[in-house]
Amino acid sequence: MALASTEAPEVVAASSIDDAVSAFGDGEGVTVLAGGTILMVDLVHGRLAPERVLMLDKAQMAGVRTEGGRITIGAMTRVAELEDSVEPLATVARGVADPEIRAQATVGGNLCATPGAESPRGDLQAAFIALGAQVRSVGPGGERTEPVEDLLAAGPEGRLVLDVSFEPPQAGASAEVRRPHAHAYTILSVCGAIGVAGTRLAASGAGPRSVRLTSVEEALASGADAAAAAARALDDVSPADDALASAWYREQTLPVLVTRVLNDLG
Amino acid sequence: MRLTVNGTPRELVSPPLTSLLAVLREELGVTSPKAGCQQGGCGACTVLIDGEPRRACLTPLAAVDGAAITTVEGLGDPTNLSPVQAAFDEHYAAQCGFCTSGFLMASHALIERGGGTSREDVIEALSGHVCRCTGYVKIVEAVNAAANGDVHAEETQADMGPQGEENISLIPGSPA
Amino acid sequence: MKAVGARLPRYDGIAHVTGRTQYVDDVRVPGQLWVKALRSPHHHAAITHIDTAPAEALPGVHAVVTCADVPHNVYGHLEALGVPADEPLLADGQVRYKGQPIAAVAADSEAIALAALEAIDIRYEERPAVFDIRQGLDPGAPEIHHWGPVYPHFGPHNHRRVRKGDVEAAFDAADTIVEGVYRPQAIEHCPLETQVSLVVPEANGRLTIYSCTQAMYFSLGVVSAHLEWPLNKIKFVGGTVGGGFGGKVDTATETVCALLAIKSQKPVKWRFTREEEFLASSTRAPWHVEIKDAVSKEGWILGRRTLTLHDSGAYSRFSPYGLTKHAFHHTGAYTIPAVSFDGFVVYSNRVPTTAMRGFGVTSVSLAVETHLNRVAQVLGLDPLELRLKNANRIGDTTGNRVVMHDPSTVAVTLAAAERVGYELGDEYRDMTSERRTGELLPEHLAGQQAPEGEHLIVHSATTNGGH
Repeated sequence: MALASTEAPEVVAASSIDDAVSAFGDGEGVTVLAGGTILMVDLVHGRLAPERVLMLDKAQMAGVRTEGGRITIGAMTRVAELEDSVEPLATVARGVADPEIRAQATVGGNLCATPGAESPRGDLQAAFIALGAQVRSVGPGGERTEPVEDLLAAGPEGRLVLDVSFEPPQAGASAEVRRPHAHAYTILSVCGAIGVAGTRLAASGAGPRSVRLTSVEEALASGADAAAAAARALDDVSPADDALASAWYREQTLPVLVTRVLNDLG
Repeated sequence: MRLTVNGTPRELVSPPLTSLLAVLREELGVTSPKAGCQQGGCGACTVLIDGEPRRACLTPLAAVDGAAITTVEGLGDPTNLSPVQAAFDEHYAAQCGFCTSGFLMASHALIERGGGTSREDVIEALSGHVCRCTGYVKIVEAVNAAANGDVHAEETQADMGPQGEENISLIPGSPA
Repeated sequence: MKAVGARLPRYDGIAHVTGRTQYVDDVRVPGQLWVKALRSPHHHAAITHIDTAPAEALPGVHAVVTCADVPHNVYGHLEALGVPADEPLLADGQVRYKGQPIAAVAADSEAIALAALEAIDIRYEERPAVFDIRQGLDPGAPEIHHWGPVYPHFGPHNHRRVRKGDVEAAFDAADTIVEGVYRPQAIEHCPLETQVSLVVPEANGRLTIYSCTQAMYFSLGVVSAHLEWPLNKIKFVGGTVGGGFGGKVDTATETVCALLAIKSQKPVKWRFTREEEFLASSTRAPWHVEIKDAVSKEGWILGRRTLTLHDSGAYSRFSPYGLTKHAFHHTGAYTIPAVSFDGFVVYSNRVPTTAMRGFGVTSVSLAVETHLNRVAQVLGLDPLELRLKNANRIGDTTGNRVVMHDPSTVAVTLAAAERVGYELGDEYRDMTSERRTGELLPEHLAGQQAPEGEHLIVHSATTNGGH
């Protein structure tokens, strides 16, 4: 059960945020190891042969803090720590895998998860988008803070995520379709939140990464009712077939989930 | 790198990104954690890392340098079973036994933190563990029994042979 | 008989809960090599070129085997009975399912073995594939085996047949015909322990094979046949199987490991990854079952026609045996005096299918029981009362003329009904398994009832021949 590559990679363990940023540099040739729940699978099965691995578990990048009405979550915060956070984040976090995985997987890893080949990954993405969260990252061009959906659209490859922050919403809700199983996989989920800027919605599992449902938001803003607005969700997504469900099934269920979230938000 | 495994300090030569599962099984010969999927999907590899249940197949050695690892071998042995081990045996919670190590470690941790007394609690805590043989009912009963202190270890350990095998004997109280 | 009714501890229970149960992957032998297999990426293809020399040249690689290294490459368990085999141990010139093993490597580490697979120079020419066995029977369907789309060795026929009574007359006499199609799908056994074996070449020239097989003597025979080695030179060491459910009767790793152990003269272990287990190990077969019942309005099943297509995958393996069991049970626990059953083992470009808990019988039970519910619905009758009426009784004969001596259908059905509080009419609650008489012996059932004391009714037309 040796490593994927017959050449062992260089392993760098960062001991502080500055250390991690400096070791990451412009990201060239660096593979980030956060919780390990995604990366270790690829390493053990020989799908990745990294030259240089940057370990973050001692870089003091974990923790949730509230300052001036804003919640900031460090990238190395374990998913389990979000189970008592605000909605829709709490419910989505509780639904990730099982307690052992949640205790090991990280917010940063989930945000930057490479699209899953057989099933969707990165369930937290939609929750953060709905919350209007900003993500702070470093990489080529230096430090950047931007909406989560923008980082995802541009591709988080080549960025080192430091933290995610948002203002607690007035209301938050989520709805999902899952495989019926104790350790359920999310086929499709929709998150929504009402903040100072109005209602925001995002979908997870309807494309390689989570996306903001701007068409639904615009419909709502111009007075459409929940059902009519929900129908517009199909304009924002391009679902694919995978091991869990077909694109067709996702297209049928997405407006239903959006309607449920809108109704829950009130 | 260093680990304390079931109370014994060990020095390791495996490369830093070797999974803890490989370190335990291949370098140290501790074979109770099993390679069921090596994807974190089945729970057969679960061990305790500083008392917390985690998937050994997903844990790189470098992330646990210096930690205390507990496996089934550290819970108890045939002449001195821990309550959760005795409960699993008493309730027939193991058939082929391949998933049992992972279930035991997660169950032990659950009970240590005061949980496991209800069916819902057990199902949630063990939701990452797959068993293809038992259908889970007996496992839940065993964990509940251990959590509620309803274990009869002395009856289970009747007549131990040298390899831990049992001589056939009736459990006291069963119909003859 | 102190044990009967007593609550005994499992003999392996203490070992299971103390982590001492030894599975194949727990066996430690110094110098053991790791095995990986090159598997077909295509569902159906010709292998136009293969060169393993680059793999053999890699440092850390101790042996590579292909079909050329196998003394007896194509072996099937019915060979001893004169039935030709159809499955190669390692692919020879073509591949017929995605995941079919072509070559195997033994190396110092899994990583080196994986690198060696990538170094093998291989080229394919894809062929059209069959995934739906119904289409596989169409004229012009892609050819999987040169003898045709079905396994051809059922005595003089290319399908399993059961014939009894006059089915034509039954259908003429029927008040209603009820038809149904049932298609249980493939199921992956998914044992927690994947397929694995460890083969140790002994100094005296013998082999010790640590195996997860469910069928030690059977696997011993398979390895012996492929290697053309006498049985006494091979020692199988079994032990606790980490879940089999029928999937570990296929001797999936032992022979290839034996070849690599012989070639490298080192112990070799092949442990399937979970992915290999899902993609390349055998599954329970998909089935297609069409049932047509001739029924009377009082709820008698006068006759049944059944057509079964069994999806064997790319090779027949144990499918003919599974289909035969299926055929024996196609009337379920019920007495039907006139039957015509035809069952075909049909090839497809899928992983070869195998046994899984109730091989062949679970599929037909699903079909038969669902169909009876359909019959009850069509006739407006209670589904349990319909079953009780037609249930096997002492002296009834099955489709293949076995006489019932102690059928439990009535007793079990009544017990189950009582347990769940299911209301039944008085006459049904009083039913027993005693020989049919009076209203329970209408004319159409008189002919199939065996004289008292008979065990088997043998006709000049055999079960598998006939008209």
